Amino acid sequence: MNLNELDYQVVEGSRRDHEVVIYALSTCGFCKRAISFLKDKDYAFRYIHLDQIPLETKNEIKQVLRERFKENPAFPFAVIDDSRHLIGFIQPDWEKTLGL
Amino acid sequence: MSEKNKEQTRLFTRMVAEKQGWKLNPDPSFYEDLVEGLMNNYNRYGYFLCPCRDSDGSREADKNSICPCLWSRQDILEYGNCFCALYISQSLAASGKQPSSIPDRRYEA
Repeated sequence: MNLNELDYQVVEGSRRDHEVVIYALSTCGFCKRAISFLKDKDYAFRYIHLDQIPLETKNEIKQVLRERFKENPAFPFAVIDDSRHLIGFIQPDWEKTLGL
Repeated sequence: MSEKNKEQTRLFTRMVAEKQGWKLNPDPSFYEDLVEGLMNNYNRYGYFLCPCRDSDGSREADKNSICPCLWSRQDILEYGNCFCALYISQSLAASGKQPSSIPDRRYEA
C-alpha cells in the first residue's frame, strides 16, 4: 500500500518546516487536541481518521506503520518528514519535534 | 440495537467512575469529546469501544478495549489516568494537574 494515495484531509498553513501526517481517530480526545494544536500554530499538515475508512484499508495502513516504525499503532500517530514519528499527544514533545 | 444518546453515555461514565472509585476528566470540553466518542462507538459497533482505540473489526477482537478497558485500573494506578483520559485517579483530581497521553498497553505481550 502507498500511504500517499489515501484520502487525507489537507490543512493549509503558513508553517511547513516539516511534512506532518497524522493518523487519528474521530472519537479520540488526544487526536482532536493534536489536530487543534497544529491548526492553532498555523501549521500545514494532513490527517486521516482511520475509524471512518474500511476495515481492510485501515488494517493495511496499520501494518505499514507497524513495519516502518517498529511500533504498534496507537493514536494520534504522527509521521514527521516520512521518517520520524510521534505517538499520543504530549504537547512539549510535539513543540520540540516541530520546532515550535 | 437501540442507540444511546449523550446523557445515557454520561450516566454510564458516572456509574463506572463511582463503582471504581475514580473521577471523570475535569476538563469539560475534553470530557464531552470523550462522551461523544464513546456514544458514536456504541452506536456504530454496539458496544462502548474506548474512544482512543481503533476497532479491530469485531466485539471479540475489541473485548479488552470496551470501556472500562482491561488496562484502565493499571493505567490509573501508574499514570493517574486511563488511556483515553476519561477516568482519573482521586489523587490526580486532587492535584489539579491535567491527565496526559500515556502508552497503549493493548498490544503489549
